[in-house]
Amino acid sequence: MPYAWLGVVPFFLYAFAFLLLPAGQVLVGAFKDKDGAWSTANISTLFEQQYVDAFRNSIEISLVTAVLGGILGLCIAFAALADGTPRWIRPVLTTFSGVAANFGGIPLAFAFISTLGTIGVVTAFLRDQLGYNIYFHGFTLFSKTGIEIVYLYFQIPLMFLVIAPAIDGMKREWREASSNLGASSWQYWRHVGLPVLMPSLLGATILLFGNAFAAYATAYGLTGGGVALAPLKIGEVVSGNVLDNPHLGQALALGMFAVLAAAMLLYVPLQRRSARWMR
Amino acid sequence: MPDRDPDEMFLRVVDEKISRGTLLRRGLATGIGLTILSSPLDAFARGSKTPPTRGQLITMKELIAEAKKEGKLNTIALPPDWANYGQIMSTFQKKYGLSITNDNPDGSSAQENQAVRSLKGDPRAPDVLDVSPSFAAAGANEGLYAKYFNRRFKTIPREMKDGRGFWVGDYWGVISLGVNQNIVRNVPKSFKDLLKPEYKNQVALNGSPLTSGSALAGVFAAALANGGSLNNVGPGIDFFGKLKQAGNFIPVQATPQTVASGQTPIVVDWDYLNLAYGKEFPSAKWATKIPTDGVYGAHYCQAINANAPHPFAARLWQEWLYTDAGQLLWLKGYSHPALFQDLAKRKKIPASLLKALPPAALYAKVKFANAAQTAKAKERVNNDWAKATG
Amino acid sequence: MRRRFIAPSSLVWLVLAAAYFLIPLVATLLFSLRDSQTGTCCSLGAYGTIFDDPQFAKTLWLSFKLAVETVVISLVLFVPTVYWVHLKLPRLRPVIASLALLPFVVPPIVLVVGMLDVYGGWSPGWFYSTPQFLVAAYVVLAFPYVFFALDAGFRAIDVHTLTEASQSLGASWRTTLGRVIIPNVRTAALSGALLTLAIVMGEFTIASLAAFHTFPTYIQYVNQTQAYPAAALTLISFGITWFAMLGILVAGRRPGGRQMAMRGGG
Repeated sequence: MPYAWLGVVPFFLYAFAFLLLPAGQVLVGAFKDKDGAWSTANISTLFEQQYVDAFRNSIEISLVTAVLGGILGLCIAFAALADGTPRWIRPVLTTFSGVAANFGGIPLAFAFISTLGTIGVVTAFLRDQLGYNIYFHGFTLFSKTGIEIVYLYFQIPLMFLVIAPAIDGMKREWREASSNLGASSWQYWRHVGLPVLMPSLLGATILLFGNAFAAYATAYGLTGGGVALAPLKIGEVVSGNVLDNPHLGQALALGMFAVLAAAMLLYVPLQRRSARWMR
Repeated sequence: MPDRDPDEMFLRVVDEKISRGTLLRRGLATGIGLTILSSPLDAFARGSKTPPTRGQLITMKELIAEAKKEGKLNTIALPPDWANYGQIMSTFQKKYGLSITNDNPDGSSAQENQAVRSLKGDPRAPDVLDVSPSFAAAGANEGLYAKYFNRRFKTIPREMKDGRGFWVGDYWGVISLGVNQNIVRNVPKSFKDLLKPEYKNQVALNGSPLTSGSALAGVFAAALANGGSLNNVGPGIDFFGKLKQAGNFIPVQATPQTVASGQTPIVVDWDYLNLAYGKEFPSAKWATKIPTDGVYGAHYCQAINANAPHPFAARLWQEWLYTDAGQLLWLKGYSHPALFQDLAKRKKIPASLLKALPPAALYAKVKFANAAQTAKAKERVNNDWAKATG
Repeated sequence: MRRRFIAPSSLVWLVLAAAYFLIPLVATLLFSLRDSQTGTCCSLGAYGTIFDDPQFAKTLWLSFKLAVETVVISLVLFVPTVYWVHLKLPRLRPVIASLALLPFVVPPIVLVVGMLDVYGGWSPGWFYSTPQFLVAAYVVLAFPYVFFALDAGFRAIDVHTLTEASQSLGASWRTTLGRVIIPNVRTAALSGALLTLAIVMGEFTIASLAAFHTFPTYIQYVNQTQAYPAAALTLISFGITWFAMLGILVAGRRPGGRQMAMRGGG
């Protein structure tokens, strides 16, 4: 049915004009050097220690916050949508999540510095009221762990927003039918609930991964570049006041692209397997 | 999500170093093309005059009249609290009746040059720029700037101007230690002092030396203080590594918020920024000390966009900045304007302004790096910083 | 199996979530109430500084307009596309999902410089030189979020049965789409709309490089130059965006308070 493809033409036109064209320029530019000649020098630079570290940190932080954010977001979503929870909680959480999911940069960094920084309110509370100084015990907000804690602030709400409609789709009748047949809660989740949710869960996790991977203004505000991240490295060589190497930046973007492509390659077969029984 | 945002990422695609011939040919083609394509209204507004390359070739009255015809000035990346730019912009607006649109006040030098490239021909393109020397050199080579010798060009010290006229140094400052005296009992006086255990978790830079000019200058200053030189910033990098090991260095970017809240009680930053903090946050009792063991300075550069939408206003801006009045406004912002020595010689500096700055004797030892030394330092920092402070 | 009161486990989760999300905001609030001269509580001076600033209202209004335009264009573009893909072209789904990840990898600066390059010089003034130019880029930025939200929503309903039933009753494509499908993916579309609104109200790079003065560029400027007003602005912008979202949510609910009414039964 060739007409079927007509329905998606506007979308592809738009994607081409405003997404593929700029993206293509990145891919091409990565293979050029400062004089415009073709070169793989920038690609090989990617394997220098500091860039490898940057990618490793980025992937680690993105994975941790995607999985943790996913799990926590899911639990909060269930708590909000469960029976017995007051109806007003849902719109409050939904709208709050909408704002929090996009809260970032220096405002977010500073909010956490005011909370968990060396003189933050929580730090001070723990130190003065409970006699426990977290900074003396090795904790510091200005580290990879700190970044992860802060990133959850927008990862969890994002998960909530994306998974809530899917949870809505889980009919109450399934739960009732399952318990009528003698299944326990655990069995319901293992054989009915999770399999139904899995495709959406996977999609949401990938989204969270990508979201954290491309983020960096918060990290910069928090650690001043002390923790190397791939997007931060791009910013340094392309848009800072010190270094100036646009093609290396494009090579770094190509590297980010490769990581996300790998993630997609993992996602697609998993996705297909999880949706297999549905259709 | 906004996290991908500020001070950001990327630059452009088909960036090539163009040969002079190509540049001229392209310039010619662009010039012809732009003339044909640009709206007749623009040509009308600009009048039939071409902007001069020398300030002396046009009377101030004519310059002001032409600028008034253009009606406005586009600036870029000028934070109001940086070297008193806020007052500089408002004074200019009031004096000449031109309105100023200041874009991306927190932008970087790279973004300024990129704005010139991307917005070529657009009425929103920046007319004038204030960039760090290496970006000024790059921009001049790329043909982004117009040649202009303002009236005071001869008086500007040689190391602070481009012989070809593409940019002029506007103000300089040195790296200083800003200290919150409420939190810090013994004010550190040198880089060596910073290593003392009493300053645990207190010392911060204004960003990372890989992306912030101020932080890079901090590394230079630390190098000078620890046996390094302008040609060898290794000891500076090692110093910060040691500072991190000692637990004194917190890798957070120092901003007005962290200064006011006390999160960063000791900040290594430009003197004009630290002095401005002192004025803005009296409750923080912010003192500014020039370190005794390493005095490093750097200047910024004024340039005019080769395709400025308001070329006469742009030239008027530069002329005004180099009058005594303009220079003193920079001094009011705690920075040393380019014509500082000349003003001092002619005894034009009010005593109150001089008093607000740290004693001149401390500035006597100041060292400036040239383009080659800066490039070498950047390379070194790029390779070694992450390892030392990771 | 309906509960009368909230389950204890739900309560624990919600309380923990409230603590994690609200405490940093409270810390910011405490900071924003400090007097600029004495550095201690309590003064509304910081808020006054923000509200008195004409740039605040101007940039806020612009960003809000851009957000609405982006939401409309996104939904008009993506809802039919995702519907179509789920209905007729399921094999295209992974392709589009992969495309949906591209905006993460094409850093906003690349996008804006690329767009300025490609569309500069020949595109009409109403597109290139007005903030509407940003809308084109924002739709791209919102694409991953809107897509995955809509995707989850479409999965949750039985697209084929609904469409067949509707068509067997004689409805045209438009009626099917408008009166059967869309009401059923309302939550997902709303999620997508909310995310888009938040993105536009928070997007900074593209706006600043293309030299437009939006609300996020104003926030960035205040954050880099002032202390207490910056904290005040953080909370003000948080509050405003939240309020706007509640508005969207309420507006989206209007045709009857019962959600998923048509899906019921089976």
